[in-house]
Parts: sequence; structure tokens; C-alpha cells
Amino acid sequence: MNEAGHEHSSENHSVVGSEQDRLTISRRWLLLKMGIALNAVVGVAITIPVVKYLFAAVKPDEEYKSWVSLGPVANFPVGETRLAKFTNPVRRSWDGETDGVACWVRRVAEREFQVFAINCAHLGCPVRWFPQSQLFMCPCHGGVYYADGSRASGPPERGLFPYEVRVVGDSVQIKAGEMPTLSNSASLVQLGGVKTDASKGDSPCRG
Amino acid sequence: MRNFLAAAALAAGCLLSGCGSHRLRMNSEQPVTRPDQMVSFESLYGKNCSACHGSSGQGGPALDLNNPVLQQLLDDSSLRRAIQDGVAGTLMPAFGESAGGMLTDAQVDALVKGMRARWATAGTMRTAAQMPPETTTLIGNASHGEQLYQMDCRSCHGGARQQVTDPTYLALVSDPALRTILIAGRPDLGHPDWQTVAQGHAASDQDVTDVVAYLASLRSMTPGQPYAAQPQGEQPTATEAAANQPTTAKRKQSTGQATESFKTEK
Amino acid sequence: MSRMKRVYSWLDHRLQLGKPLLEMAEHPIPNRTASWWYVFGSAAFTLLMLQIVTGILLALVYVPSAGEAWNSLNFLNHQLTLGWFLRAMHGWGSNFMVAVVLIHMAQVFLFGAYKYPRELTWTLGVFLLLMTLGMAFTGQVMRFDQDAYWGLGIGASILSRVPVVGGSLVHMMLGGPIIAGATLSRFFTLHVFVIPGLMLAFTFLHVWMVLKLGINEWPMPGRVVRRSTYMAEYHELTEKDGRSFVPGGVWKDAVFSAAIIAAVAVCAVVFGPFGPGGQPDPTIIQTVPKPDFFFLWLYAVLSYLPPNLETPFLLIAPVLGIAALLGLPFYASEGEKSWHRRPIAILALTTIAVSWGVLTHLGTYTPWSPHMDAWSGGPAIPARFLRTASPVEREGAVVFQAKQCRNCHSIGGYGGQRGPALDDVATRLTGDQLIRQVLQGGGNMPAYGKNLSPAEVTALVSFLQTLHPANEPSAADAAQSVTGH
Repeated sequence: MNEAGHEHSSENHSVVGSEQDRLTISRRWLLLKMGIALNAVVGVAITIPVVKYLFAAVKPDEEYKSWVSLGPVANFPVGETRLAKFTNPVRRSWDGETDGVACWVRRVAEREFQVFAINCAHLGCPVRWFPQSQLFMCPCHGGVYYADGSRASGPPERGLFPYEVRVVGDSVQIKAGEMPTLSNSASLVQLGGVKTDASKGDSPCRG
Repeated sequence: MRNFLAAAALAAGCLLSGCGSHRLRMNSEQPVTRPDQMVSFESLYGKNCSACHGSSGQGGPALDLNNPVLQQLLDDSSLRRAIQDGVAGTLMPAFGESAGGMLTDAQVDALVKGMRARWATAGTMRTAAQMPPETTTLIGNASHGEQLYQMDCRSCHGGARQQVTDPTYLALVSDPALRTILIAGRPDLGHPDWQTVAQGHAASDQDVTDVVAYLASLRSMTPGQPYAAQPQGEQPTATEAAANQPTTAKRKQSTGQATESFKTEK
Repeated sequence: MSRMKRVYSWLDHRLQLGKPLLEMAEHPIPNRTASWWYVFGSAAFTLLMLQIVTGILLALVYVPSAGEAWNSLNFLNHQLTLGWFLRAMHGWGSNFMVAVVLIHMAQVFLFGAYKYPRELTWTLGVFLLLMTLGMAFTGQVMRFDQDAYWGLGIGASILSRVPVVGGSLVHMMLGGPIIAGATLSRFFTLHVFVIPGLMLAFTFLHVWMVLKLGINEWPMPGRVVRRSTYMAEYHELTEKDGRSFVPGGVWKDAVFSAAIIAAVAVCAVVFGPFGPGGQPDPTIIQTVPKPDFFFLWLYAVLSYLPPNLETPFLLIAPVLGIAALLGLPFYASEGEKSWHRRPIAILALTTIAVSWGVLTHLGTYTPWSPHMDAWSGGPAIPARFLRTASPVEREGAVVFQAKQCRNCHSIGGYGGQRGPALDDVATRLTGDQLIRQVLQGGGNMPAYGKNLSPAEVTALVSFLQTLHPANEPSAADAAQSVTGH
């Protein structure tokens, strides 16, 4: 290295060395370039798996979702809205309490259910159901929803996120597995305070 | 500068060593309790009951619980049921988890126990034998009830401000709830209990049942008409108030139109 | 002494650090710059060191696992000797650090110190500010309680609004489909390895440039920065009217740093550690999530934005804001430094400071949030409102409570502030107007028409109609007095 440095400086002082020196220098530069190229190749080869590892959590919504039972139909009286809790189907053993999920189950009729995410459509805070006034209220920024999940007032742009529901035999099941956000549940947008029954569809949860 | 540094170090040292008991610096000695594990009466009552029943069990808009007669009238199971499932026909909501509320059985028990410990006094126990029971099997006689009402209640309730015969009021208070008030009174409002509500004698089970039957007979099919019979702002005349006739019929007549518009608005 | 010298020269012969360090220490600074205004940068550095030390000490005990983090924090608070103090130091240290970094930035902006040749110093400073805020947010996540959990939920909800890749970003942020173990692990990595590592590197460069380019001179009106002449002028100034950095300027830094650390310690002892709050169990819905102090302003902004502006604002405003901060020294790299000649800068700084203050203040008492327990808990409606109430009006007061009206409307100073206080509502609205408002809602109030029986509405309205001062009549419909109805 010292030698190379020396030759460099001599070059800088415009003292032209011998033909031999020049060849040596250009050969060394070539070798350095080769070294860089080799690093680039290895780097790319390593980067691909690293990026794949980093993005492993990014999956299509459907891969995370599966049918989850919320318990027997009898747990939910007709005409009432009740809190149901379940364990997220995608979980790890060290999740602790965080693998629990809550949702609001509204039994509209004997075989008709609506299940709403606990997360406010605004910024995901847990909404609370008040049966007396038939409203969901959010403690964060004051989003309020009617019993059918449609927006009543406050900052949310839309109604509560509904889960896909089905009744299999005696149990109420929903398609769950992901934290509901605007990116995976935003197919139904209800602007303004207009009450619609749009949120009552069978399959409102589209990935 | 050296002085300053020394002073600062000294101050910090003093604070650290002087306040040796680090528990003082913590918000609480224990980790935060889960809301469903909370069984302290003060916090449960203060979160779930005090707004309607008053911080000390009286002075709120709803029934005062700090009333030994009431505490004697309601046994543990009916008190527990009232908290758990609410009281049908009144505005008392259900707080039990089983009925869609937030309180566990243990928490409801804690509330019942706490109320008993604070507001039931032994002094009233001696009259328990004669006290009309919380629920009755007797059949009410509305016309006898009306007589009793005229005799014992009208002196206070005859005034325009104390109309318990208002169908709106009656629509919001069920028969058992009326019965409870008749027996237990509302000491915070100065309403007498069963021992003093009637002139000269304690009210019997039959008396109470009859008065409730009379009030029940005044219930309207369409309660809650928003407009009074009189133009707004005018006080009811003395004759009106003394007419001692339930005003339901009259109201319906004069506000038929209003009723309809009320309905369509809904 | 000679022994010390021998050790020193032995070391310096190998380290080769003595000469550059001495140069740095002796580099001249303008006399007027040796001012108490110039101590915030070094204080921020000291706080960073404090945070690193206390952070390492906490990491000795803290368990970055979603299942155990909360327990380990409570162990620190309640069982480990002086664990609470370390937590308190780290927590208060972070508050002080954000504050000092912001003050430092405001001062630098005010003094025009970002101008030529210190543009890059400012740019790195902007990144350091962002990283400080990043540390504050990820630190809030480390305190793995309900606020942390729902704070992550808010973060994920904001990310989910990004068009097209929103869903993937949420998965990236959470490390999976929900906020859980994977989420805490990656925020731990950010908080402990990634951001602090970057911060140290950036801080080193930042300080290097300050020392090499010289500290900004005290701005004087009329002393205009020009690229062609600035360096010469600065050197002339430091030679004519300067002193060496050590000890001429640095003693104030030392004193202030010590004072700041002492202040952190005092706050830690007096106020104790932050949290942890409730268990990070998402099925506990009796919770009112709230961000830490330095994000309260954002929390306030999010509640006041009109719904249809929210997504654009959330996605565009940060980009514009950061771009503006980064672009500032390149847009205004020459010209006046003195605040006497920079009215727009002063106005901008004042506006930002006042808005920040107002929004933070609002964030502390969240007038937009329903008061979730006011309907059933807390003080009852004061006796003065009920003293002369008839049975119907009294029932109306019960309706007012039981139907959660008080969650949004206060009476007697207690209740939500989402809607107007109703202490004297009868002076504003007539009975008919009250009925309409209750049934149909409007003005951000839900319609209660479906949820109240006519009797409940009548009782409620008759109660509300009593809510006016004794010496002020209630609102009346003028038409009624004419028609007699």
C-alpha cells in the first residue's frame, strides 16, 4: 500500500514514472475494480434473501385470515350487541395477552348476525358499545356509530369495520386474523351522517 | 460554578436518600389492576353508580341507595339482580357481564356488600316484620288506591311541580319501582317511607298495592306527548291543578295534531 | 506528574488523538457566541448519553417479549431496588431530550445558523430531530401497556391510509397481521439498535461539523452572509474578537448539562416513572388511549381535521414538513442572520410554537373525546339543578345520564366536552328545538330518534328546559306567544 501511495503522490506531482510503473498502477486499479465487482455480486446474492426475510410478514390478507368461532349462537341474545373475545388464528407462543381479539356481535335476527371490529374506523382505538343509547363510542377522537355500525358522528369517514360472518351449526364464525384497517377493510365508505344499510352485506370484508 | 455543582449534587443526593421509601414515588404500590379484577367498592361505585344515585348514595337524580329502609326492603338477590340485569320498566341499565354490561359477578357482589356495609343500619330492623314486602301477591284495587292517593298523597303531589300522575313520568317508572318508592320513600327528597306516608298509620301491603294499581291505571297508551295542554309559559291555574283529574285525556285532545307530527318526525 | 505524562505520551503515540483533540479544544469561537444561548446542543448531546446509559441499564432487566414486557416493567417499578428510579430517569430523560432538541432547533433557526456553510449541519440536525421523535415513539412502545398497544394501532391505522402499499406497510410495521410479539420485537430493535446507532453516527458528524466549521457567530443586523466572503469574515471575527473554545465557551455547556441532568433526576425522584398503565390486553376495552406528551399535538390535529382531509393531510403534511425543514438551508443559505431583519422567520417560528402549545394543551384534556364513564360514574348532576325538579324532570335527568348524554355534554362542570355544556341550554334552545336536536341530532351529534321512547324524550327535554339561570328566562318561541299555542 505504501508503495502505491508513493506512486500516486509522485504521479500527482506530474513526475511520470516508467512504463513499468504505469502498467503496475493500472493493473492494481483493475484488481480493485474486480474486487468491487465481486463485492457487488456477493452483496446482491445476500441482499435477496435478506430482503425476503425482512418482508416475510408482508402477505396477502387472505393468507392471514381464517374462520374463527365466537361461541354458540345462544351466547348472543337476539336484538342485542355483545362483546365477544377470541384468540387470533395467527399467533406466536410469546404473544402473551396481545393475541386476544375482541369484537362486537350484533344478533339482528335469529340467524342474522353482524360482527364489528373493535377498532374504530378512524384510527383503530377500541370502540365501546352503549346499549342504552344504542351507540358505539370511541374514546380517542370521539367517533360515534349507530347500532348497525354506520357512522353517526365524529372524525371517522365510514362505518365500523364488519367481519364476514357465518353460522355453522350452533356456532357463530367470523373470518378474522388481521387487525382491521382501512387498507384491508375499506371497501365500504360511508361519508357523512347518512344512515345506510350498506354495512349489512353478507361479505363486506374484502381483502 | 463549583458551588452550583456541589449544591445540585447535594440536592439530588438528599432527594434520593431522603426519600428512601421509593414507594412514595410510585403512583401505586401494585401494578395496575385489570378492570375486571377491580373489586374495591369505592372505585366500582364511583365508576358505575354515582352519577345517577349520588356519590354518597343520595342526592342524585335516581333512587337514593343510602336509605336504610330501602336496603332492608331489597334482599341481596334482588339487589344483585337489579345491578346485574337492570330493572325492567325503568332506566336502570344492566351492568352484569351476562347481560351485556361490564361488571363480573364478583364485582356485583362487591357492590352489594359495600352498599350493605355503608347504608343498611341495624336500627330499622325492628320494623321489618310489618314492612310491606318488596313484591306482593295481592291484587290491587285502583279505586281504593285513588281514595288513598287523594287522602295521603295529594297534599304534596297535587301541586303542579310534583305531578306523579304525569303519564310521561309513569311511563318511565314501572309498578315495582313505584312500589319501592312508596315503601322505602326517598329521604333525600323528603318523601316519607311506608311508616309515615299515610296519615295516622303505617301503610299496609294492601294500601301500597292499591295506590300502585291506581297510578298504573293512569298510564297512557301514548305517553310522552311533548306539548302541555296549556300554551307554554303559562302556569297551570289553581282550578286546573285542583281538578285532581288525570290530564291525559285532555292532553290527548288538545295535542292530537302535535302527536302526529311527533310521530312523523320520528 | 511526569509519570502521568509518560502514560499520556505512550498512549498518544499510539492513538494519535492528542493533536486533533487539542486543535478542537483550542479552536477559536467568537466572543459573543460564548453565550448561554449556545448551550442547548451540548445539553442534547449529554441527554443522549444519559439515555444510552440508562437505556443499557434498563435493558439488563427488561424483557422485550409481548408476553413478559409488562411484567418486567412492573418488576422494575415495584421489586427491583431503585428500578423505578432508572425507569423514571429514562422516561424523564426522553422528555427533556425532545424538549431540548426542539429548543436547540428553534434557537438555531432564530440565529440563522443554518446558513452557509452550515447547511449540512442543519440537515443532519433535522434527521436527528426525526430520530429523537422516533426514539420517543418507539420508547412509548417499549412501555408495553394499553397506551403503547393502542398507540401502535393508531400508527398502523395511519400507515394503512397510504394508497396501494398501505396494507403491506402495516404488515411490515407490525411484523404480522396484528399487534403482538413480533411487533414489540421489531420496535425493540428499532429503539435499541437501529435508531440509536444511526443517531450516534449522525451526532458524531453533526458535532464534527460544528467544531470544524466553527460555531455560528452572534447574528448582527446588517452582517449579511455571502458565500464568497463569509469564511474570510468569520475567521477575521474569531481572530479579532474571539477566544478559545476551551475553556472560553465550554464551561457554560458543562454547567448547563449538569443542570439538565440534575433536573431530570429531580423530576424522576419527584414525579416517578411513567407507567406502565394497564395490561396490553386488547380485549380490555375500558381504556382511554393517549399518546405521550410530545405526540399530544398530533393527537389533537387528528381530531380536528375534517374527515375527508385526514388522509391527504396525514400522508402529505409530514412529507412537506420534512421537505421544508431539509430544504430551508438551501433555499436561504445566504442573507441576513439577525432576527431583527427576518420577520417571516420570526412569524413562522411563533406560529408553530403557539399552534404547538395550543394543540398540546388541547391534547391534555381532549375536549373531543366522549367521557366514557360520565354517564354512570363521577359526581351526580349538582343538587342546584334538581332542587325544584318535578318527578318528570328528575326522570329526565336520569334519562340524561342513562342515555349517555353526559358522555359528551357536561353539566355542573362534569362530563364530556365533545358537545356544548348544557348548564344553561334552556336559554339557547326552546323546547321544540331541543326535541328536534335530540331526535335528529346534527352538528356532530348522533340522532337519538330511534333510541329514545317518546316519554324519554319528553322527560329529557323537560329536564333540559329547566337548565337556565334563575334570573334569565328560558328561550321561548316568539310565534307561540302570538298564536297562543
